Amino acid sequence: MQGAKWRMGLAAIGCLVVAAHGAAQPSVGRGARDPLQPTVIVGSEGKGMFAGAGIPPGNMPIFAARDGAVPSGVDPLPIDIFTTKDFYKDRERWTDPRYYRCNSAVGLEQIWGAYEVPLIGDDPPRSAAWGFCDRDYPREEIVTPYEFRTAKEHYAALLAETRAKGGPTIHTQATLPDWNGRYLRARAKTASWYFGAILQIPTYLSLLTPEYQKRFVQQMYHYSGSNAAQWPGSYCWPEGFMRRLSQYGGGTVSMIMTPDLVLDMRNAAKTLITQIHIGREFNEEGVVPRLGPDVPQWFGETIGFWDGEALITWTSNIQGWISHGGFEFSNKLQSIEIYTPRKDASGTLVGLKHEIVLYDDEALVDPVRIVHPMEKQRDLNEGDPFAVMECVPQSFPVDGHTTPMSPGQTVEYRVPDIYGRPWAEIWERYHEEGMERPREQTGRFGL
Amino acid sequence: MTIDRRAGHLASGAGMAVLMSVATVAEAHHSFAMYDTKQTYVMTGIVTRVDPNPNHLQIFLAPLNEARDQVIKDEKGEPVVWAIEMDGASIEARNGVSVNGFPRGTIMSVGMHPLRNGFPGGGRGESGLFKCPADTPPAPGKHCDSVAGSTSHGKGVLPTPTGSAPDVPVAGR
Repeated sequence: MQGAKWRMGLAAIGCLVVAAHGAAQPSVGRGARDPLQPTVIVGSEGKGMFAGAGIPPGNMPIFAARDGAVPSGVDPLPIDIFTTKDFYKDRERWTDPRYYRCNSAVGLEQIWGAYEVPLIGDDPPRSAAWGFCDRDYPREEIVTPYEFRTAKEHYAALLAETRAKGGPTIHTQATLPDWNGRYLRARAKTASWYFGAILQIPTYLSLLTPEYQKRFVQQMYHYSGSNAAQWPGSYCWPEGFMRRLSQYGGGTVSMIMTPDLVLDMRNAAKTLITQIHIGREFNEEGVVPRLGPDVPQWFGETIGFWDGEALITWTSNIQGWISHGGFEFSNKLQSIEIYTPRKDASGTLVGLKHEIVLYDDEALVDPVRIVHPMEKQRDLNEGDPFAVMECVPQSFPVDGHTTPMSPGQTVEYRVPDIYGRPWAEIWERYHEEGMERPREQTGRFGL
Repeated sequence: MTIDRRAGHLASGAGMAVLMSVATVAEAHHSFAMYDTKQTYVMTGIVTRVDPNPNHLQIFLAPLNEARDQVIKDEKGEPVVWAIEMDGASIEARNGVSVNGFPRGTIMSVGMHPLRNGFPGGGRGESGLFKCPADTPPAPGKHCDSVAGSTSHGKGVLPTPTGSAPDVPVAGR
């Protein structure tokens, strides 16, 4: 396919990376070489490389062309995601970066000004900016370097490896690694592929099954063509499991250590807590492994064990959902996560390395890996306390657009089908009129 | 018609006591005064969604017609869906009522006390709940408790209904 050829060429010429850090470790399932670290993003990006709130002085947007111009040497498609009348009909073009004007996922998400500096131009959406078509990130740096196809296999192999060394390590409060503290996760736009800035969208799509490709392109269209973002946090809907790994959610991590329970606490629009139950085993009789009753949990349920100073965890029983800008995930999502200490030359703890392998055979064609370095900022009892986040709704969907409302205002409210992709329900009702969306077949009872 | 109109009773004093105990288990997420415990319906229908809310699991149910071969639809041709509220999700899961156990398309029967305001919803109270075998609806006019191979989930039997419900509730639409 034209798109595939285009992408193969890009992979060869366009991946600007620096050498990976982290030495290879002789383990069956952890400590592989860190993913390559890019030096540039795909773009476009209104706030350049700045990753904080607000607009920095001298802000320099990143783009290959803007205001209706086309980058030199690029032959644009006759129809793209900014000009299409029905993105469902464009499926053959989905694998061509030019369909997205070579914007990354976050490039599209920001283009109407989601992060404060729009690049949509004066005749939107026709005048939307372009990212760099010669930049991309290798797919092989995203998929797992390990041989396992399921989280269960992965966890079992790590446990067997640990047992072969005489483990797992049973820590007491006295021997427990003292990771108590607040950590700041790497937040640069280039820090992780999951932040969505360093890879072309067709490369992202290559990770997904056809149904989840469709869902991802639907999300991308509603950032670019319709400007109708539906971020779960904007309505105080649940944030979901993957939010803890996104660029602007879960960036500050509080680790609370006890011998039998470790807490990984973060914040987004709501508080995100991972409870790691040390030494427990899953009940594997149901559809997915779980600890408690057969009820999917927004952050899943997590077991773990220690291999010396490495904390190895398995999370299952996760409620399928979305983290905006990322792929939708199903109730089959499971993760294997490894926390290891990072120390300076004197042996003092300076941070943690958090390695995550995600398994979801409904959404992903291959397991994928995310590696997040974290720097220790302070002890738990220093500075401001951890804020437990409740979310009180301020914005509501009005005619399919997120709209902040004031006390006393009235709005017609359509109750969302919260477990039925409520974001997509809004898109489909208000912003896809005339499109030929593939429909589910009616069942035998006319439902 | 799906709503069983046999005369009878489920609730009043005893039913309210059970509802109060449910409220205690669910840590009083809301008052149960919204439900008319003097009214009881029995429905057989198709599950459209299970909402595993930790406070009160809800089953969204599209009632079947009397022939048990089509769901009831409104004047626009859309299925009529009732929201049936139960115990918290973890409690119901222990009875096998869960997202995984009751996927879309599950055929089930349950009794309920309807909302006082006429919206299409109700509380299960102490009613039994029966799941038909997959793709096996009951005979016309019957419920899942009459089908060989059906399973019971939680409390008791299907109650004797006290009244009738509208095919297409007007409120809430």
